[in-house]
This record gives sequence, C-alpha cells and structure tokens, in this order.
Amino acid sequence: VKGAASGLDRALEALLTLGVLLSGTCLALGLWRDNPALLKWGLLLLMWTPVARVLMVTAALLWERDWAFAAISLWILGVLAGSLHVAGFL
Amino acid sequence: MLGHSIALYVLLGAGTGLLGALLGLGGGVFLVPILTVGLGLPIRVAIAASLISVIATASASATVNLRRGLVNLRLGLLLEVATSVGGLAGALTSALLTQRQLFLSFAATLGVMSLVMMQRAGRRNVIQDDGADPGRLGGRIREGERDYLYRVKRLPLAMGSSLVAGAISGLLGLGGGIIKVPVLSAFCGIPIKVAAATSTFMIGVTAATSAFINYSRGDLNQQIAAAVCLGALPASLLGARLSQRVEARALKVLMALVLFVVGARMAFEGL
Repeated sequence: VKGAASGLDRALEALLTLGVLLSGTCLALGLWRDNPALLKWGLLLLMWTPVARVLMVTAALLWERDWAFAAISLWILGVLAGSLHVAGFL
Repeated sequence: MLGHSIALYVLLGAGTGLLGALLGLGGGVFLVPILTVGLGLPIRVAIAASLISVIATASASATVNLRRGLVNLRLGLLLEVATSVGGLAGALTSALLTQRQLFLSFAATLGVMSLVMMQRAGRRNVIQDDGADPGRLGGRIREGERDYLYRVKRLPLAMGSSLVAGAISGLLGLGGGIIKVPVLSAFCGIPIKVAAATSTFMIGVTAATSAFINYSRGDLNQQIAAAVCLGALPASLLGARLSQRVEARALKVLMALVLFVVGARMAFEGL
C-alpha cells in the first residue's frame, strides 16, 4: 500500500532521517564510551527533531499560502513553544 | 543502571518500538507498565524514558511512511490541535477523577473499542478510485496495481477522540494513539495504515511537548532512555516496513487484541 509522496513529504523524510541518524549515533557512542555529554546531546537532538519538523511544515504551508492549515500549524508550534518556555529552553 | 543491564532496555525498546510502529501507537502503553511493574522503576523515570522512546519510534517510522505517501499531513495537523487542547484539559481536570475512576473508565473505553474493531475487521474504508474528489482531508492510496480513495467521515468524532486522546496522554503518560487509531479506522473512514502512519507522525509532537518538561524536571535517566531509544529506532523502521506488507484485516485483529489486553490491565489496576 502506498500513496503519492509530495515534495514536502520528501523534505520531511530527509529532515527526520538526519535527526534520527545524528541522535542514534550520539546515543550509541555515549553508551559505548560511557560518556554522559554524548548521551545528553543524543537525547536533546531526538527531542528537537519533532520541533524542527513542525517548523518545516509551518514554513511550507505559509509558502503555499494555505493560510488555514498554516494557522493550525502555528498553533501547534505555539503549544511546543509554551512547553519549551516552561522547561526553560526558551 | 538501576539493577538492569543495557541490553535488557535495548530489547524492551525494540519490542515496544516494533509493535508501536506496526499499529501507529507510540509504544508508551506497553513500555510504562513494563518499566514500572516489571522492572520496578519509579513512575516518573518510566514516563520520561517512554516519552523519549515514543519520539524515537515516531521519527523513525515516519521516514518510511512519508516516503510511501501514507501520512495525511493536514488531517494530522487538525487532530493535533484537539490533542493539544485535550492535554491541557486533562491536566486541569485530573483532580476531579480518582485514579480508580480513571483506570476503570479507560478500561471500559478500550474494551468497547476492542469489540468494535473485531466486528469491523473485514470492512474496507476505501473505494475504487474513479477520479472523484476525496475532499480536502481525504486522500488516495495504491494497493498492488489498483488505486483507491478514501474520504474522512464524522470529523467531529475524530476531533473528539483526539481531544480524549490528549487528555489521556496528559493523565496517564501515554501517546494517545491507542484511542485515535481505532476511532479513525472504525468510524471515520480512514484506512488503518493511513490512520497508523498519521497517528505515529503526530504522536512525536505530542510526546515532545511533555518530554522537554520531564527533562527539565530531572526525571530523565539518560542511560535508560538512551538504551530504550537505541532499541526502538531500528525496530520502528522494521515495524513501519512490516506494516505495509501485513493485510489491513490482520492489523485490525492485532489492534483489537492489544486494546483488550491493555483494557484488562487497566481494569485490574482500577479494581
């Protein structure tokens, strides 16, 4: 079963692959060498990957002038920003 | 590492990541009870590790599902709004319900959903693609040599279930896919593979919202979370690929079984 992947789907796939590969490498090396700094970076990279993904979707929807869904995406970004603020990252 | 080896956590992450990616659940619904009841970890440590593992499962399986065009991005965004409001509502209303009432009502919901999934396992959500408009939220999929289209039905119900999923997510530390996927598939006309791909895609965002707060509170045990993720990442890729080969009917029956088992466990904890 498959559908038609759009240009945005491809870009998101590339972004997620990058995030997963980088964080996976940091986590594997961190565990192997018992290195807390690498573990921390691996976990943070993984946690930031969905944020980067929402940013990319929002930018693409704004670019496509799909205002209704861009507004929805901005709302989700706002919720994430609220969480980052409470956590002290913003 | 709290008395258990890294390999055990890697294996646990792999098992829950595989099932999570296969059914469009984050995997937290399996991981949290195993870590707490099975391995005796404190609930906060278990939830923090589970949320990170859900992000790993969501991100890895999305790479496969996006390439296959199975993620319905606009539907996912719309449902995520309801989920985020539900998360807030769950946090605000948690004081109104006792833990026992919460577990029992959740168990009853899952029990009913399990029966509905079994009853509708043979039902198809797609129709032959005759060039008709699938609507703004619908879509097209290809199965073998044939093209099909699906339309989203009962959108208010889909939004309502996402709201409840968000509330459950906030209250019990789960991703919410265990509510969303069955409702979308059984009542809203969405093929189970699209429902699973879309749910997994959005669950990563839901989990990230809570994960940052857990991280800043110091709930995260880095070694445990890293080991669980290392298992979940490759297993989720495998689960997402496998999900495309398994028949939709088999996935629905597996989902019904999972709903029943998780519901029974919740009832047991509530009684």
